[in-house]
Amino acid sequence: MRDSGDIEELRPPPSPSAMPAGRTVATRVVSEGRPLPRPHAPDLARKAQLETTRGRLVIAAAGFAALFGAVGLKLAVATIIDPAEPKLRAAPRVPDGTPNIGRAAITDRNGEVLAVSLQVTELYANPQEINDPVEAADKLRSVLPGLDRERLIARISQRTVGDSDRPVQFAYIARNLPPRQQQAVNDLGIPGFHFRPAERRFYPQGRAAAHVLGQVDIDGHGIAGVEKHFDARLRGNHDPLRLSIDVRLQVALRDSVEKAIADFNGIGGAGVVMDVNTAEVLAMVSLPDFDAADPGGLQQRNAEAESDGPIRKVVARPAAPKPVHQDQDPHFNRATVGVYEPGSTFKLLTASMVLDAGAANIWSTFDARHPIRYGRFTISDYKGKNRVLVFPEVLAYSSNLGAAHMAQLMGPQRHREFMSRMGMLNRLQVELPEAARPLAPSANSWKEINTFTIAFGHGISVTPLHVITGISAVANGGILRQPTLVAQPDGAPREGTRVLSEKTSETMRKLMRLVVTDGSGKGAEVPGYFVGGKTGTAEKTTARGGYQKDKRIAAFVGAFPMNAPRYAIYVMVDEPKPNAKSHGYATAGWVAAPAAGAVIARIAPVLGMVPETERIAQIQQSISIPLQPGRPAGGKAPVAAAPQAATPAAPRANIPAAAMPATPAAPAQPVPVPPATLHPPALRRTEAPAPFRLAAVPDAMDEAGLASR
Amino acid sequence: MSGAAPYERRLLLRDRGGLLRKLWRIPWSFVLLLAALASIGYVALYSAGGGPEPYATKHALRFGFGLVLMLSLALVDIRLIARLAWAGYALGLGLLVLVLLHGNVGKGAQRWIDIGPLQLQPSELMKIMLALALAAWFRRAGRERMGNPLFLLPPALLVLAPVGLILKQPNLGTGLITAMIGGAVFFAAGARLWQFALALGAAGIAAPIAYAHLHDYQRARITTFLDPESDPLGAGYNIIQSKIALGSGGIWGRGFLQGTQGHLNFLPEKQTDFIFTMIAEEFGLVGSLATLALLVLAIGFCFLTAFRCRHAFGRLLAVGLGTNLFLYVFVNIAMVTGAIPVGGVPLPLISHGGSAMLTTMLGFGLLLSVHVHRDVEFAPAGEGYR
Repeated sequence: MRDSGDIEELRPPPSPSAMPAGRTVATRVVSEGRPLPRPHAPDLARKAQLETTRGRLVIAAAGFAALFGAVGLKLAVATIIDPAEPKLRAAPRVPDGTPNIGRAAITDRNGEVLAVSLQVTELYANPQEINDPVEAADKLRSVLPGLDRERLIARISQRTVGDSDRPVQFAYIARNLPPRQQQAVNDLGIPGFHFRPAERRFYPQGRAAAHVLGQVDIDGHGIAGVEKHFDARLRGNHDPLRLSIDVRLQVALRDSVEKAIADFNGIGGAGVVMDVNTAEVLAMVSLPDFDAADPGGLQQRNAEAESDGPIRKVVARPAAPKPVHQDQDPHFNRATVGVYEPGSTFKLLTASMVLDAGAANIWSTFDARHPIRYGRFTISDYKGKNRVLVFPEVLAYSSNLGAAHMAQLMGPQRHREFMSRMGMLNRLQVELPEAARPLAPSANSWKEINTFTIAFGHGISVTPLHVITGISAVANGGILRQPTLVAQPDGAPREGTRVLSEKTSETMRKLMRLVVTDGSGKGAEVPGYFVGGKTGTAEKTTARGGYQKDKRIAAFVGAFPMNAPRYAIYVMVDEPKPNAKSHGYATAGWVAAPAAGAVIARIAPVLGMVPETERIAQIQQSISIPLQPGRPAGGKAPVAAAPQAATPAAPRANIPAAAMPATPAAPAQPVPVPPATLHPPALRRTEAPAPFRLAAVPDAMDEAGLASR
Repeated sequence: MSGAAPYERRLLLRDRGGLLRKLWRIPWSFVLLLAALASIGYVALYSAGGGPEPYATKHALRFGFGLVLMLSLALVDIRLIARLAWAGYALGLGLLVLVLLHGNVGKGAQRWIDIGPLQLQPSELMKIMLALALAAWFRRAGRERMGNPLFLLPPALLVLAPVGLILKQPNLGTGLITAMIGGAVFFAAGARLWQFALALGAAGIAAPIAYAHLHDYQRARITTFLDPESDPLGAGYNIIQSKIALGSGGIWGRGFLQGTQGHLNFLPEKQTDFIFTMIAEEFGLVGSLATLALLVLAIGFCFLTAFRCRHAFGRLLAVGLGTNLFLYVFVNIAMVTGAIPVGGVPLPLISHGGSAMLTTMLGFGLLLSVHVHRDVEFAPAGEGYR
């Protein structure tokens, strides 16, 4: 940094021989390694270096001082000028030592407790205060034998955090200690063990409403279901949260769906009961389910382990949880997350659409003689009538061709608009974090072929809750309301959107009733309650696209009583297999409709509905519609309620005589379904070599394997 | 070295005569300053531990031992120290190799070895030994020699060898600090600025190449070192809590034993790296600035000693030691205030830790020896000595 000038000042004038510069002299001296000829020269050179270093010392010190100034400034900024505040989200975690207590209870609509937090005691240890961990552990295990000895000792002897010398002063031993065990531990008088109050979530109804309620984690924060959706409300407001669920209906629905699954060896099922006028969900089940109080099934596996602390014995904890397919996952809510092709249940929407738009009337006819060929695909009716069908026949016989021709009257754009209006293209606004978005073609890719297939419920996937919400609107006079799980004030009408006219809805009610009296839904009939509805069987799609012929979804959606609908019901069985009683059939008419009938028979009295006995014929007359103009409706008076009236209805040409029930006095038993209502695979391959594809189903429909690949 | 032995004995003998004089020359006000800093450490550690145990008492004992070590060293003739500089450097380098071969792995790096009850970080010792060796080398340097690259090559290797070993641990922070101490001695010895520019340029070119040859896990460590936010629950968490503690302290602080961040265990490593934050929270800006002022005084004394020293060895040694102290204090405080993203540097005399206390007091002992022997004449012994 400094040139040689300073040095020359300090150095005596060089001898002429050593000219021109002092530098040369010095260099020579150094390189030769000899002392300078003049004895005083070393001193001078040293002084020169001393001066250099002193100068540099000052510079270095000044630099350091400047850096310190900067640090001091930064310190002032950090302490007073712009102090960092603790993040607010961290604050609630340290509420002066008291744990999060007082999560509000959840009740059903009648005040029955579904979830409640009770005070328990947490047992924890301060390892710093435990002198002999082994002795302490053995003493503690004498009253809490469920604790694992090795893990307990390890936990109470760990005095520092990891490798650091930060002391550990808190270690959970048991988080849910009943009072008697608390007393027993207290009586031991081992130093270093302490109690503190906590609370634990209890679900008195066990599995009944597991999917609706969801779960809380070990610290009492909602992680699924209503517990999660209303987490802030449940923690902030101590008043119980009243759900729209009726636990009596919930139990009945669960029983019936469970029985239907067992009867037909299905892998799962779902059911929903809804108030058609308020869209309150009165019951909703998905099977398989889980015990809300023991969501991981750990308690079941550790039945012998008494303590419930984090270090209890784990007898059969799986080494690594395997990813469970949703078909097997008990936490998977089929009713709101499962998206399935609705199948023929959507024919009700198609029929509503054309009637409401005036594109057809009740006596319009649809040509079901010829399969519809579209590209490589053919739409046909399985063992169809092969004739021109009148509007009611399309629904009663569940004709795919008829439904496709109906939708054709509207065209793709209006069809899509209608489905959007009915809420079939959007996520439902239900109070659950688990609510799936339907899989449907986008506006651009909704072509005529999509309209054909969606008319009979294929090429679109929606949740069961979508189906029942839409059918509620069809039945209730035409008002669509978003489903809700929260109890609504009595008598107050809920806001909704008019999607169909009153008149359309009235006609649809008759048609729904016709399906139950004369069509595929006979199994759902409960005498005196005038059930109406529609069955739907759809083949499950694979992850890679295409259908699985042997794996079906069998569903029934309906409402009752059809003269003045109050409740809607949906029952679905996932992958039913034929059984001996069903004569080799595993279709909705055999599987879901009888289950729905069983549910209605159980819940209607609970809902305060008395079965109509006297005016049966009169009421039935008012809500019946003939299959064909001029031809009397097949709607016979329900037989069980009035056995004396059990005269077989006049013409039943569509039912093979051989398949008729042996005794007409067993109406609840399913009547063999006419062949046309055995839902055929929607689309048949016309050419063997071409891989099965729904060519017009857009790529956007990916997740459920609907993609055209 | 057999020829040198009589000279060394002579130095020791001469010492014996002037013992009282040497005691008189010890700057007792500086010793008092160090005691004041250690007392601040005691108070802060008392608070960090919630009582005299587990930190404060140990700290006081260690300072006591360190004081004895320091005062003993102060009386050793600086020329003897200069003679032993090379041996000390070799010892430090050997320990560094040893720690690589048999060291204890802590937090993913091999950094310390156990010597009896003591955990020694050879890299801490190496910084002092490096200052010694460089001072011994440059003591012979004339201004002209400083312009000769061949003369600068051996000291450059003296710096690079330990830096390389420390980087291999890997401990990038200490490696850089060691290199900076070397740089400071070079600077004070009168190395030309263009030489610094050259060295920096070479390092700038070498760094990416070296980086390319590192293992993935080593790169990951460097990434974490350079950007603690990539490890938000680790170093990032520490800095956030530290800054909250500083803000909580304000001007006058929350009062002794009243710091919430420290006492509620939000503040990590509060007895070591983040002790300054403890002080700042409990005694506020006033307390922390006072502490900083005392530390700056101590560093200033190092440079004052260097300035007043009449021989190059003592001067350069004092510069090296002063730079070491400066880097400790600067890096630590800059770190806890969030100004620079570094971790793992204790605050000398205040932080808890035996190894750090030992090396710190060793450094001060050498410094005092320089101070006491600031006017001695280095006898022209051997080739190249003047």
